[in-house]
Amino acid sequence: MNTTLRLSILASAALASLGWAGASQAQQNNMSFFITSVGSGKGGDLGGVAGADAHCQQLAAAVGAGNKTWHAYISTNSTPAAPGINARDRIGSGPWQNAKGVVIAKNVDDLHANAQINKATGLSEKGEPTKVRGDTPNQHDMLTGSDLQGRAFPPNLNLTCNNWTSGNFGSAMLGHSDREGIADTVYQHSWNSAHMSRDCTQPGLVATGGGGLFYCFAQ
Amino acid sequence: MNKVLRFSFMASATALLFGAIGAQAQQVPQAPNMSFFVTSTPIGKGGDLGGLAGADAHCQQLAATAGAGGKTWHAYLSSPELPTAKGINARDRIGSGPWQNEKGVVIATNVDDLHSANNKLTHETALTERGTMISGVGYTPVWHDALTGSDREGRAFPGNINMTCNNWSSSEFGKAMLGHIDRKGLADNDYARSWNSSHQSRGCSQADLIATGGNGLLYCFAQ
Repeated sequence: MNTTLRLSILASAALASLGWAGASQAQQNNMSFFITSVGSGKGGDLGGVAGADAHCQQLAAAVGAGNKTWHAYISTNSTPAAPGINARDRIGSGPWQNAKGVVIAKNVDDLHANAQINKATGLSEKGEPTKVRGDTPNQHDMLTGSDLQGRAFPPNLNLTCNNWTSGNFGSAMLGHSDREGIADTVYQHSWNSAHMSRDCTQPGLVATGGGGLFYCFAQ
Repeated sequence: MNKVLRFSFMASATALLFGAIGAQAQQVPQAPNMSFFVTSTPIGKGGDLGGLAGADAHCQQLAATAGAGGKTWHAYLSSPELPTAKGINARDRIGSGPWQNEKGVVIATNVDDLHSANNKLTHETALTERGTMISGVGYTPVWHDALTGSDREGRAFPGNINMTCNNWSSSEFGKAMLGHIDRKGLADNDYARSWNSSHQSRGCSQADLIATGGNGLLYCFAQ
């Protein structure tokens, strides 16, 4: 094989590869919901709400969906002086669809009553399934810091790892992305408010079946 | 001074010393009408109280030392809603009141009064079974965090929240909801002033309870 031919094949392969990437990006441009493929790696320390949003934005941009404004589905704790930020108020009005185009909820109320988030639809920004109950490791615990309605907890509770700044103190309220848990209760089946983390360290999140992953939404 | 005399003095001093200790041990004031107190001592294993039964027994035992063991005592603790059982509310475990402290001061007339801004719980009235004040804010150590596992109405938290150290059986997992016995905290707000639902503990070990300003003390009530 001469040099010219070899170059030509390489160029074709490169073009084909670009073409593939383009197709996949076109599909994910319509994506408005995903589960982060990776967490911050620092447990409940997400760099605050702003850091969590930036993480969503960065992961979305990496797959060509960075043209939308992304927000993490997390609440901040209320303080005696001010109400907390409710996750439900941060995500636009819907509908939202995953990387494969499946609509997971039509609007905010629908999301908190009838969310179509489960093992099959809970995809990452890359369109890949999240490791859930039955997989190794189980990473179905999603950081939310929210109650069943997607609202902040009162000031006497710290279920937001100090408003997502602590990789140590506090605890995080977690949802189950696969809607499965250790018991048949409304909480264990909850996508957004299943149980608390042991603490806010990365190993603490891993210990209860998570990886510090969270939900991202865009309008 | 000769040796015999010196020995005699020493013996007297020793006798006095033992006498004092003996008197101190018997000195717990007898308050048979008491129907509310803060435990003077913790169980000592963090949030592991041996369940509600263990906590109740601790109340009963301390009450007995104060001559109030004739009543049935209960710890002011909630237990969580579980897949197999409903939650137990602290407010439903303590009878109907009124309750009075070791000095005879009525701290609340009934359950609703106890959970209102009208209750008479202060650092000065939230006394132990010995009639002593707990070491609160401004003192060392600060032991003002009482274990409650309850919301401000004295009710259990929902099943997704573990604020009872695994139903008062763990000194490792979970958190404990705490109230401020002295009604004081880092800031001046309703939560810092809450006697029963101020903030959660760092963890459920004895060391964690101490780190957040407590020692695993309990409120005890009798009818």
